[in-house]
Amino acid sequence: MMASDPPVVSTPALAVWRSRSIGLLLLVAALAFLPPLLLASLWLKVLTGVAIYTLTAAAIALLYRRLGLVSLAHVALMGAGGWVGLRLAYGLGTPFEVNMLAGGIAAAGLGMVFAYPALRMRGLYLALVTLMIAGAFAIIVNVLQFPNGGGGWSGFAVKSAGYMPRPAIATSDVGYYAYCVVVTALGMALIHWHEIGKAGRAWALIRRSEAAAMSSGVDVPFYKVWAFALSGFLAGIAGVLLAGNLQMLDARSFPAAESVMIFALTIVGGAWNPVGALIAAALYRLVPALLNDFGVNGDAAYIIFGAALIHALATAPRGIAGQLEDLASRLFGRSNGGNTR
Amino acid sequence: MIEIDAVTVSFGGVTALNTLTVQLDAPVVGIIGPNGAGKTTFLNVLSGFVRPNSGRIHAFGRELTGMQPHQRAQWGLRRSFQKEQAVDELTVEDNVRVVLDSLPLSRDVVEDALTGALEFTGISAIRRRSVAGLNAFERRMTELARCVAGSPKLILLDEPGAGFSQSEVATLRSVINGIAETIGARTFLIDHDVDLIQATCQRTIVLDFGSLVTYGETASVLADPKVRAVYLGMEET
Ligand SMILES: Nc1ncnc2c1ncn2[C@@H]1O[C@H](COP(=O)(O)OP(=O)(O)O)[C@@H](O)[C@H]1O
Ligand SMILES: [Mg+2]
Repeated sequence: MMASDPPVVSTPALAVWRSRSIGLLLLVAALAFLPPLLLASLWLKVLTGVAIYTLTAAAIALLYRRLGLVSLAHVALMGAGGWVGLRLAYGLGTPFEVNMLAGGIAAAGLGMVFAYPALRMRGLYLALVTLMIAGAFAIIVNVLQFPNGGGGWSGFAVKSAGYMPRPAIATSDVGYYAYCVVVTALGMALIHWHEIGKAGRAWALIRRSEAAAMSSGVDVPFYKVWAFALSGFLAGIAGVLLAGNLQMLDARSFPAAESVMIFALTIVGGAWNPVGALIAAALYRLVPALLNDFGVNGDAAYIIFGAALIHALATAPRGIAGQLEDLASRLFGRSNGGNTR
Repeated sequence: MIEIDAVTVSFGGVTALNTLTVQLDAPVVGIIGPNGAGKTTFLNVLSGFVRPNSGRIHAFGRELTGMQPHQRAQWGLRRSFQKEQAVDELTVEDNVRVVLDSLPLSRDVVEDALTGALEFTGISAIRRRSVAGLNAFERRMTELARCVAGSPKLILLDEPGAGFSQSEVATLRSVINGIAETIGARTFLIDHDVDLIQATCQRTIVLDFGSLVTYGETASVLADPKVRAVYLGMEET
């Protein structure tokens, strides 16, 4: 059910991505440098959140698209990455980039642990297991709390709340926003680089049938674990970026329900297109903020998202990004280079 | 030489293979028998998807019995499935490349092997097309290209000809006939098309209810009254 069939028109997005790398660079640059000129600082923080959650959504989409796996634990993975990043920042005072990599690697390790149940189950059962892991994380972090500069193993002190330092080259809100856009773009490039290579081919066969993959020499467990590690790595990086954005993390910001929400929005946005991750993150961060701005309770967003998910599952399996793609090819003719069927 | 030594497979109450012992030594060996005879199960045991309850398998002096399916593939075993398994979202070329990915080959060797396999199966012209747009025969040939790429030792084909036209089967036939010489691999071929078996297989094995009915030269096997009795009243199309 949830692991829907791969849609037929999946290649155009890849082809577009490949042939227009310069355009993409320009797009990333525009995204990184234009909004700060136009927006007040409050909105810039929201947009930084959008950039960060784009990476999380891309990591979720990777697992869903390539292996048909539903992970409801990615916000927990972000939290785990953020925890490690904060701990290092306060404990050792290491540079932001080191903390970010360490957070990514820690979350990758955790992702590999999640992969273990995924080797045996799929679909709803796996989704439930990942949700339980997310729930367990929420409880653990409630007990431990996020490090805030205190002593001891957990680095938490009730009073002395310090701020996590940002990267030396991007301490201002404007600079940090651009930094997050660039890191997210690099993370998505890393996904893309995997997908067009050996790992992507192995994943495609696994998704088609594990028997076909094995009989083609693909080490199925290895590539499944690899997908989880990569996905966890990127979620962990996003977690450290989030810690840098807020300059602290709060145990209440990672409830298990948020993992469900961001997964649902990833499907709504479109898991088969990189733009889908951006749409998912924009819905996740912008819609509640906009509603608040209009004086409507931000929780109303949940109703809208629920309806959108039902719509996506029922009529638009490739999400909003897929619909936009269809619209574009209708408007501009069949311009996707021989991929018409 | 592929040696099958007392291989037994049972699924619950069904004995799909019953102490099968045979030594297969022809370039192309046909495997025939009525539906449910255990033909696919035999290929599954060879490729490692089904663990036999007892018995051993040796191929060219190497014991395969304990190896994982992907290890057998890397060793040189390839197979196609009764239901074709080409991947829609990849190009024809990438469908084949995946089998070379797991082999310790240099980039140049991979490209040569890829080109060789695509030419051998006659699909070079469509190598960059997405499999999603191909017809059933092109998809089958893509799968076959995956089987012949990377110097395999043994290729297992499960009803590759089912559902194709006369001329398509003729193409398939000439490809299978070229495997021994051009690719240098042995082939085991399951098919219900007796003409195809006759035109490609030097030797043929007949299974019925998981047991070996006979093994020998294809012409004499097909003329054997025992074999006719097995098929009596259940003429396949
Ligand atoms: N995975 C399985 N589980 C249970 N029974 C099976 C399985 N695979 C095959 N069988 C049974 O084993 C017998 C042989 O099947 P199979 O090898 O597919 O025959 P064939 O390919 O000759 O038509 C059949 O009775 C089939 O129902
Ligand atoms: Mg069969």
